[in-house]
Amino acid sequence: MPVHLQGPWSFLFGRLTLHAIPYDNVIILFAFTLAAVAGIAIVLPVLYFKKIPYLWREWITTVDHKKIGVMYIIVGLVMMFRGFFDGLMIRTQQVLADGPHSPHFLDASHGYIPPYHFDQIYSSHGTIMILFAVTPILTGLTNVIVPLQVGARDMAFPYMNALSLWLTAMGAALVMVSLFVGDFSDAGWSGLIPLTELPFSPGVGVDYWVWSIQISSIGTTLNAVNMIATIVMMRAPGMTWFRLPVFTWTTLSTNIIGLTAFPVLGVALAMLSCDRYIGTHFFTAGLGGNLMLYTNLFWIWGHPEVYFLVLPAFGIFSEIIPAFSHRPLFGYTTMVAATFAIAGIAWLVWLHHFFTMGAGPGVNTFFSVATMLVGVPTGVKVFNWVFTMYRGRLTFETPMLWCLGGLFMLLAGGLTGMMLAMPAIDYTVHNSVFVVAHFHCMVLLIAYAIFGAVIFWFPKVFGMQLDERSGKLFFWTFSTGSILVFVAMFALGFMGETRRLDYLYDPHMLPLLIIQEIGIGFYGLSVLIFAWMLFVSLRNRNTSLESDPWGTSRTLEWLTRTPVPFYNFAVTPQINARDELDWRRRSGLDLSHPDRFAPIHMPGNTMIPILIGICSFGLGFGMIWRIWWMAGGGLLAIIALVIFRSFQHTPGYMLQPGEIAAMERRTAASGIIAEQPSRPPLMEAGAH
Amino acid sequence: MAPVKCSHVKEHLSKWLTWPLVGLALIPLGGCGEEFRLFYPKGPVAAAQLKYTMIDVGIMLLIILPTTLMLCLFIWRYGKARKAAYDPDWAHSMTIELLIWGGPIAIVALLAVFTYESVIETNPYDPTVLRAPAGTQVPAQAPLEIDVITTDWQWFFIYPKQHIATIDDLVVPQGRVVRLRMTSTSVTNDFFIPQLAPMIDVMPGMQTRDAFSSDGPGTFTGFSADFSGAGFSWMQFSTRVMSGDGFSSWVAGVQAGQAQPNRGALSYAVFQKLAHPTLNIGAKPGYFASVDTGVFNRAVTDALNGLTYPVPADLTEKMAPDSGPSNQRRSSENGKGS
Ligand code: HEM
Ligand SMILES: [Cu+2]
Ligand SMILES: [Cu+2]
Repeated sequence: MPVHLQGPWSFLFGRLTLHAIPYDNVIILFAFTLAAVAGIAIVLPVLYFKKIPYLWREWITTVDHKKIGVMYIIVGLVMMFRGFFDGLMIRTQQVLADGPHSPHFLDASHGYIPPYHFDQIYSSHGTIMILFAVTPILTGLTNVIVPLQVGARDMAFPYMNALSLWLTAMGAALVMVSLFVGDFSDAGWSGLIPLTELPFSPGVGVDYWVWSIQISSIGTTLNAVNMIATIVMMRAPGMTWFRLPVFTWTTLSTNIIGLTAFPVLGVALAMLSCDRYIGTHFFTAGLGGNLMLYTNLFWIWGHPEVYFLVLPAFGIFSEIIPAFSHRPLFGYTTMVAATFAIAGIAWLVWLHHFFTMGAGPGVNTFFSVATMLVGVPTGVKVFNWVFTMYRGRLTFETPMLWCLGGLFMLLAGGLTGMMLAMPAIDYTVHNSVFVVAHFHCMVLLIAYAIFGAVIFWFPKVFGMQLDERSGKLFFWTFSTGSILVFVAMFALGFMGETRRLDYLYDPHMLPLLIIQEIGIGFYGLSVLIFAWMLFVSLRNRNTSLESDPWGTSRTLEWLTRTPVPFYNFAVTPQINARDELDWRRRSGLDLSHPDRFAPIHMPGNTMIPILIGICSFGLGFGMIWRIWWMAGGGLLAIIALVIFRSFQHTPGYMLQPGEIAAMERRTAASGIIAEQPSRPPLMEAGAH
Repeated sequence: MAPVKCSHVKEHLSKWLTWPLVGLALIPLGGCGEEFRLFYPKGPVAAAQLKYTMIDVGIMLLIILPTTLMLCLFIWRYGKARKAAYDPDWAHSMTIELLIWGGPIAIVALLAVFTYESVIETNPYDPTVLRAPAGTQVPAQAPLEIDVITTDWQWFFIYPKQHIATIDDLVVPQGRVVRLRMTSTSVTNDFFIPQLAPMIDVMPGMQTRDAFSSDGPGTFTGFSADFSGAGFSWMQFSTRVMSGDGFSSWVAGVQAGQAQPNRGALSYAVFQKLAHPTLNIGAKPGYFASVDTGVFNRAVTDALNGLTYPVPADLTEKMAPDSGPSNQRRSSENGKGS
């Protein structure tokens, strides 16, 4: 061992002992039961209906961008549910642990969760929500929509797309495993330094945090490459830059951020790992280390990351608001300019996350003004959406409700963001729950956009609409929860409540904490309503939908059949206008469908991505527990698989015109949940 | 397309529940008591911070308010049912686009001016709000210097001129400028007294500064704002502002060993013992009748030379079995060893 480790280590199991499994903790036992029941509820029907071959062929080994997108979203929603539970536990602990006379349960001295556990809960809450819920869901949405919006057959690199998904999923799996085997980090989602160094975090928690992020962020980086290549290279004929839908523009800018920012995080985490595994001193306080270097590197990724998340949400607003205002987006060009302005400025503001570190007035002023400048393009965007509604004919279907709700969140988050941007104010609320409330407004805005987007594009993908009535109920309960929790949280910030407390010193905070608890109750209710919405929609489904079930959508993805066939477009579309569908509708062309087809070359399935994913899980798990043989084995297997793959011939297969014509008549047969007959792979000579 | 039905009772119920509940959420804000610490500054620095909060919000509302109103108005006015004017094509207007860029830019320019002013006024190394206003006499008293050292998870306040020190109890005379020099022996902390002093990080191997003064006597809670591990939630200190005379007699009392619990002399060796991770539940204070010079500097240099006080695993992960409520003060020295 090159570094001093507390606790035992053995060759076979590394640091892993039976002690690491918290079978004596009721809360974790409950979580485990929940997970086990859910697992069984999924596995049993799959076994009973003999669906394993279907899952394997149609989903696990698929390279279809829509299925990959859907799986991203499912991973994200599952993680969001877990993150929600964390949030529920945090709120409940704080309301129970207020003041010296607060009650205590289980083995906590206040409330019901002792600090070592509470700290893991909020750290995993933040890590999960940002990196394993919102990021995968947005990646999934862009995966599903962008190739359709640009008229492409698939992503530029379908195989790499599957690899990105499985790396992300395995990162998420590591976070989940940490719940039952060992501990998660207790040093915050941002990895507070030097708390994450070995002397202060001697367990495996920080290692879980590092490796889950490291693995999934490789996936995110690869996905960024893929997206950029798709948008730049795969546009249908006539899809000029200034006909690109705004969602695609925001995806492009967001992935430029992703491609350039995620490597910084990777490097920072790798340096931290060196400190923890081989005893280097990159970020230690002593022996030449510089802990502020970590903070800088983290936020050089961290701030662009928050814009990485918010830009696609802005893109979603820009699609949904025009659709339900029955008008084109106001100020397309300024919208695109504002998008890239935000992405550019996002690189110049990272220091606002640590104004309190004691930099001089010059530095603080520079970063303060740079931060405020972000407000300019953000404001422009809001105005553009508002003027899109001007002289519109607004209808309030659920996607529109989510977008309008999101706009109000954006106004609140923007106002408070501009407060935090001023160092003199930040000195009073940095590291307080005021900041937490600010960014929850922003992250909620993203969540609002996500819910709107899922409901908006659901019919395109699955060929059925979600139930409007329960959808609206979901919106209103969720929004009530948001308002109750976060208005109270802003107020608590003014009381000086600092972040991450599992015991609150001031009994005066109790009323506000109770309001927050009521709010989280509404959130809980909304989760149930969400499940109910899915159930009702499935029960009452209507599967014979038009290409554009909303009737007022504007962009290219609505042109193809609903549900979208696995080959996307039967004939590669020719683009004539910015809002292609709207143009065709007005020209009376929207109902005409092609009747002559050319053969389509489709990529074949591959199991290499999931295998690499599994090996990376082994690599991560081995590194976390310092089981060197497992980590080494995982790494070698990955290398072997990559080499194997590069010598593999993957010709794919050909869809013949007759088959396409048949499927165009029976859309259900080509939807993404339909099972496809196995088609013979192309012979070498036929490949092109 | 499914027609939108708004008849469902539950949905309406929750819609109408929303607004009263929002009102409910606002009540505590209306009844703003002193517990809204940031609204009741007790010193010039905190007052300046509140002033700039008001200015910032005021300027921002110039743009946020009209936008919000316009948003609400358009949502209301252009609902399909209202049959207002409908223009299916209009998507560009040079005037509006210039305005919506120009407006925010003007606002930011205005804010930038105030930002610069505020940064200078509250600069923790030398806040100009603490300088005597031009034209008045230089204040008779030199600033009170205090060295602050954080450990896992306690605050040490060393008064170098007075040769005394305290744990978790910061006592200062009213009206006099207090200048802090801060460092940490363990992880990063964040010094914060909401009514008095801005949040400033306290980092191992480094020195940061903070400064404040207070308008009148009182007792205020100070916090570590930056999460530092298991004992973080109990890492408060009390800040007691006394009259000048009261402060002098308090100092004399501590020097004479009368402040209880008196823990004798603070040499660097004693400090090192106390610097081991300690959960100080309830922030129990302690007093030192004398202090060796150089404790602060040695804490800095030792951290630079790689000295750490490792946190035992049972304090970070399986804090059970003996972290129950009865365990008020627990140190890694008590048999638990790193
Ligand atoms: C007008 C735009 C915005 C401004 C001016 C702004 C400003 C700031 C500032 C100054 C901070 C640092 C506060 C502190 O730690 O003391 C901050 C924190 C944060 N902001 Fe924003 N922000 C804006 C938009 C956003 C957006 C769009 C997001 C996310 C999607 C976001 C997410 C966050 C997060 C996650 C943090 C806290 C990170 C942490 O400490 O854990 N912000 N913001
Ligand atoms: Cu959260
Ligand atoms: Cu930021």
